[in-house]
Parts: sequence; structure tokens; C-alpha cells
Amino acid sequence: MSSAPKGSGAAPETPLPPGVLRAVQLRGMFVQASWNYRTMQGNGMAWAMLPVLRRASEERRAAALDRHAEHFNGHPYFDSVALGALSRLEVDEADPETIRRFRAAIRGPLGALGDRVVWATAVPSFALLAAVLYWMGVPGAVVAFVFLVAYNALHLAIRAQGFALGWEAGTAVGPRLRGLDLTGRAERFAALTLALVGVVSGVLLAGGRGVGALEWPWFVAALGAFFVGYVGGVRLWRPTAIVTVGAVAILLALGSASLLSG
Amino acid sequence: MTELLGLALLGAWVTLDGVTVGQFMVSRPLVASGLAGLWLGDPATGFLVGAVLELFLLVAVPSGAGRFPEPGPAAVVGAAGAVWAAGPAGLALGVAAALLLGYAGALSQAAQRHLNVRWVPDPAVQPVTEAAIVRGHWSSLGVDAIRGFVLTALGLAAVRMAAPWASGAWPLDAAATRGLLLVGAFVSLGVLGRSLAARHLWVYLAVGAVVGLGLGAVWG
Repeated sequence: MSSAPKGSGAAPETPLPPGVLRAVQLRGMFVQASWNYRTMQGNGMAWAMLPVLRRASEERRAAALDRHAEHFNGHPYFDSVALGALSRLEVDEADPETIRRFRAAIRGPLGALGDRVVWATAVPSFALLAAVLYWMGVPGAVVAFVFLVAYNALHLAIRAQGFALGWEAGTAVGPRLRGLDLTGRAERFAALTLALVGVVSGVLLAGGRGVGALEWPWFVAALGAFFVGYVGGVRLWRPTAIVTVGAVAILLALGSASLLSG
Repeated sequence: MTELLGLALLGAWVTLDGVTVGQFMVSRPLVASGLAGLWLGDPATGFLVGAVLELFLLVAVPSGAGRFPEPGPAAVVGAAGAVWAAGPAGLALGVAAALLLGYAGALSQAAQRHLNVRWVPDPAVQPVTEAAIVRGHWSSLGVDAIRGFVLTALGLAAVRMAAPWASGAWPLDAAATRGLLLVGAFVSLGVLGRSLAARHLWVYLAVGAVVGLGLGAVWG
């Protein structure tokens, strides 16, 4: 398809119409649509790659469909990097075994990077920022709008730049990603996230909107709850939800009994 | 009927947003619950329930094969329960119903992922065709939308029936109700703090808390 060096990282002289790559990029939004316990995102990756694969020779296409439907589990946003790089390799008609090995090698690091940068840092940070604004009295609709715009500016930038990076770098995308030091940036961003945990807690304890000043027993209980969560970690989340639902159910039952006896 | 249909469709939309399509975070509790409140004509209650649920679900992120509470449809049902029961009873019913439905969502999502195995082609078994990929893709997506619709509709039916009873039986006043729910939310904040403070950044937590206390005292 192209005379560019195969997966070398040099700019490809692509004969592809721009719409084909754009289609792959947009289809990346659906990469988890057929998530399953066997191939995980495999079918989604193959579906996203179809606009590129359809342009391959019939013989190559059949094998390409197989390799791109194999097991894959990265991160939905950072999968755009893999989609860009794999598209490049297919367009360059790289060796199938090279593509298969590259695909298998990149999924784990992309998943770990996305989990660290997006799920463990960006989502809680933006959600906490929204919570701070809300509990300080900013109208809910404004908070939701600001949250969606700010979060998706980052989200869409990751997708767009990730795809461009993958397409440009091909198999050399790993070193290029490491050079961006995204994990290091996420680590530094974690300080801000933690500060926001403190700010939300402080605003609520001091009586943010809709809360009112917490009466002393609740104030002390809330501080204690934070400490329990801090010490116990994530294994305490589920019991907390169960206890909260249980407390509401018991209070409703007591209220009903009181109504009936009264 | 239009009201319920609109909420169930909203539930389907935020279910798709949660994992399947885009992940634009419309499914976060603050947004989904606020949209449900807007649809029901009571955005303030919708956003209040969403803000409380947001604290509970800060650690619930759709990471890979992990099974976490599904926030979108839960938040829609939570907002509806809060609006229908009204007052402190509504807030308690809405948050409790949403936490329960979040788990039901996680279980149904896991079941659907097992189901998806049936129609997604496996290259280890037979050569994959484009038609099989496309069929697997759209079947899974369609089932997920239906799952979100049904899950939300069932949740709405339950809170619709429970709302009149809860509104009469709830024994706590507004301050105590908020206190009770915030105690649960603070466990979640502590859990998140723990996951971040492992990097020895606890001083940021302390500074943030002081700033928050000041902000809450001045603007709260």
C-alpha cells in the first residue's frame, strides 16, 4: 500500500484518504461495545480497524481480521494509540507476525497507563473538583457542564493525540510514550487529587450547601468514617454501601412500625 | 408514562456511556442524576442526590474486567426516588436505591459480558469474517442498551411503589438524614485518600482539609 519503511516510525506516504483514518479514530469510541470475557476488547478493536482492513488485498484481509479479533484489553482512551499504530502497520503491509507480537506487547502497558492516568487520577480529580464547586453553592447545572467540558477536553485530547502518535510512530510508539512521562505527571497530579479530597471533606464538615452545619455527633461520626475508610482501604467500600442501605431500610421499618402502633 | 419512558431511555443512554460508547462521563452520578432531575422538573433534588452519590462512587471506575457499581442507571433511579418521595425521605430513599441498583447493574453487566461471548467471533475456533465482527459488535451494543433500559425501568418501578410509603415512614429530619448519608460518603472519601496517600502525599490532604473548612465556613 505504501512505500514508507514498514513500521519504522518514519512518516508514511499513505495513499489512504483522510476519511479512512478518521473513521478508525471515531470507531475507537466503540472499542468496548462488544466487551466479553473471552477476547475482551478484541472484537471492538477489529471493528474499529475495519475501514483500514477493507483496503487490504483479499488474501491479507482474511488473516488481518483474525489477528485483530484476537484477545485485546487495553484502556478505552489509550487504545487509540494502538489503533493508530496498528493502522500504520497494516497500511505499510508489515510482517503479520510482527503486527501480532506488537499488538500483544502493547495492550498491557496501554491498559496500565490508562488505569493510572485516567481511572486513578483524572476521573476522581474532575469529580472531586465538581463536588467542591457544588457543595460551595455553584448551581448544579453549571457544575455538570463545567465537569463535562473540562473532563472531555482531556479525554478527547488523549484519543486524538494518542491516535496521531500511534500512526506517526508505528512500532516505535513505546519509547515515544515513555518520553511523555505520563505516569510521572499522573503521580504529580495525585497531590492535587489528594488536596481535593481534603477540600471536599473540609467543605462538607464546615457545612457546605445542602448540608448545613453538621451536628456534633454527625461531625465526629464523619471524621471517624473518613479515618476508617483511610485505614481500611477499598475493601471497606462494599460493606459501607451495604450498611448505608441497611440503615435506611431499618429506619424505614422502624418508622413504619411506629406509624402502625401510633 | 412519558415521564417513565424518558427516564428509562436516559438510563439506557448513561448505561451505554458508562462502558460501551465513548465514556464521556455523562454516566457520572452528578450528571446523570441532574439530568433525571431536570426531566422530572426538580433539578435541585436531582443534583443533590447526584452530589451525594458522587461521593459514594468516587472509587467506582469502569476499569477493565473489574466489577464496580454501575453509576449511570443507579443515579437516574436515585434522582427519581428522591423527587417522588420528596424531602429527607426522598434523599434517603434515592441514595439507598441507587446504591442497590449500582450493584444490580454490576451483576447484570457481568452476565452480559458472559453472554457476549456467544456472538463475538473467536479466531482460535474458526476464521473470522467481517460480517461476524459487525454482528458481534451491534448485538452486544444493542443488548447493553436494552439492559440499561430494563434495569432503569425496574428500578423506577420499585422506587415509584416505595416512595409514598417512605415519605410517610421516614423518621429522621433533614439534618440527621444528611448526617447519616454523609457518614457513609466519608468512608468513600477516606478510601480514595488512602489510595492516593500511599504516595506519601498526606500533607496535601491536610492542607486541602484546612482550605475546605475555610471555604465551607465562608461560603457554605
